[in-house]
Amino acid sequence: MRLTDRFTGLFLVGLGALAAYGGSRLPPVPGQPVGPNVFPMVVGIGLSVCGLMIAFGIGHRFEEEAEADLAAHTTHSPEQDVTHRRIWYLRALIPPALLLFYVFVVDHIGFIPTAAIMVLVTAVTLGASLRLAIPLALLAPAGVHLIFYKLLRVPLPDGWLPMPWS
Amino acid sequence: MDTFLEAIRLVAAPDVIVAILAASVYGLVVGSLPGLSATMATALLVPVTFYLSPIAAIATIVSASAMAIFSGDIPGALLRIPGTPASAAYTDEAYAMTRKGQAELALGAGVWFSALGGIAGTISLIVLAPPLAEMALSFSTFEYFWLAFLGLMCATLVARSSPVKAIASMLLGLLIACIGIENPGGVPRFTFGFTDLLGGIEVIPALVGVFAVSEVMRAMITPTPPPLPRRQFGSILAGQWTLTKKYPWPLMRGNIVGIIIGVLPGAGADMAAWVSYAMSKRLSKEPEKFGTGHPEGLVEAGASNNASLASGWVPSLLFGIPGDTITAIAIGVLYMKGLNPGPTLFTEKASSMYAIYIMFIIANIIMIPLGIAMIRAASYVLRAPRASVMPVIVLCCAVGAFATGANLFAVLTVAAFGVLGYVMEANGYPVAALVLGIVMGTMVEQSFVTSLIKSDGSMLPFFERPVSAVLAALTIGALLWPVFVWLRRQALQRA
Repeated sequence: MRLTDRFTGLFLVGLGALAAYGGSRLPPVPGQPVGPNVFPMVVGIGLSVCGLMIAFGIGHRFEEEAEADLAAHTTHSPEQDVTHRRIWYLRALIPPALLLFYVFVVDHIGFIPTAAIMVLVTAVTLGASLRLAIPLALLAPAGVHLIFYKLLRVPLPDGWLPMPWS
Repeated sequence: MDTFLEAIRLVAAPDVIVAILAASVYGLVVGSLPGLSATMATALLVPVTFYLSPIAAIATIVSASAMAIFSGDIPGALLRIPGTPASAAYTDEAYAMTRKGQAELALGAGVWFSALGGIAGTISLIVLAPPLAEMALSFSTFEYFWLAFLGLMCATLVARSSPVKAIASMLLGLLIACIGIENPGGVPRFTFGFTDLLGGIEVIPALVGVFAVSEVMRAMITPTPPPLPRRQFGSILAGQWTLTKKYPWPLMRGNIVGIIIGVLPGAGADMAAWVSYAMSKRLSKEPEKFGTGHPEGLVEAGASNNASLASGWVPSLLFGIPGDTITAIAIGVLYMKGLNPGPTLFTEKASSMYAIYIMFIIANIIMIPLGIAMIRAASYVLRAPRASVMPVIVLCCAVGAFATGANLFAVLTVAAFGVLGYVMEANGYPVAALVLGIVMGTMVEQSFVTSLIKSDGSMLPFFERPVSAVLAALTIGALLWPVFVWLRRQALQRA
């Protein structure tokens, strides 16, 4: 997800300005010269200045040198040259999407089914065959449940499939 | 003496020994898998440390991180793919040795010099920490402010990226630390009416997101590393003593550079390895041999990255300022276990300090036999398909974050910071600086605001005390250093 420096720089300018504005509106502490507003204002202004510099490409050369150094020291596999359609790269969002799925579903259907779906989806997306993905989706959640629920006493919801040890 | 005996008793407890062994094996396996860093290994361990005794909790972090840094050398030497970023600097050299039929020598150098470097780093921790602690007892908020600010600036200075982007990352971290009611006025700040945000952003879920989830996200769009062909290794340690005698100065230099970089806040094992490898090449009598499978750079950089690991604990234990990303996580565990970082830790909890020293020594000694076993098992471990490891990591991220406070908001935090870490890394914003900002935000603000209140809003007292004046000069120097480098380059280009 490579964005242009101009885009990320301007985003930081906006974020910094919002932070400084938000900070400036915080109530002062009576009888005290400095309150909760000072730090976000300083940080926000600094962030805006940095954003402007990034948008104008200042310091970019340091980055290019580090990238060239790393590329010279590690393998470049021919598979890395394969270009995919832009939509293919959205698969990078699957892990955070699965975490959101966990948040909204785990209390309703329980830990084991939720975890099994997460493991199955991640494994299949990474290219695992169903012969590997299905046993993994059955065993990994049970193993993690055993460690966290039984040994570490983390209150994982039972839901549809309570384990023998819960 | 009593304190030392008490420390031995603490370390010899069965739970601590089991923790050291289990964490060592875990660190070796995770570190050897390409794409899984030592920091990620440590971040995923934190939820488990909640349920351990304080010493066992620290033992797991010390052992797992030391093993993972060494273990990253294994795929580097055998596949030319560094297991952890700390091995990237000399991966090329180690792989060239493997191609020359010297895989055992390259891997042996990895384990042997990592252990020596780790022990040198521990000695620096033992020697440096107590006198610095004594000095730090007289520090006021002015010194703490400059020290924290200097730490933040060092992290941006040594980042292998644009210094401007590094400073922006650090400021973003400080801004994230502003969230919540823990501020001078005790008012809700940037909470947008969400009660879950009143307590601020929890550091541990944020770190798990930045270091673990973002790596799984990267794995989704990068090709699978090639499988390691099965091979039989000869003696791993043969020839290491000869190398030690042949390269005493590179070894010494690697140790010293590693220790210095470790002590610098924010700069960790990967930076130590890059600097030491470059230095080794520049100062070598045979620089033309570098890149052709010459062990000298391996000796220096291999010792350096492990030396930095132990010395990174110096600022962490003394001031609560992380020496690197691993100690940024460790500081959270120290607070959680009642071992609040600060100079008084060395007087009030001296036995715990000695116990940490002993654990470092033990971890670096057992690294040799366990490391050799890991090298021999590498053919099997590195064949584990990525598609079977990553799903378990996603699951552990969710459950581990939930375990930090039995709160599903922590899992949301993990997801959000996973995306943030991924986007930042993809666009050249160093995440280590972000993490440092998040971890140190509260401390920086508290020392800044308290100092301003003491000085009645004036900036002059920030420079009046001798130590704070020196620290201020160093901080301003660090801030201006990239400008100086840029101006010098411009002048050279014109010449």
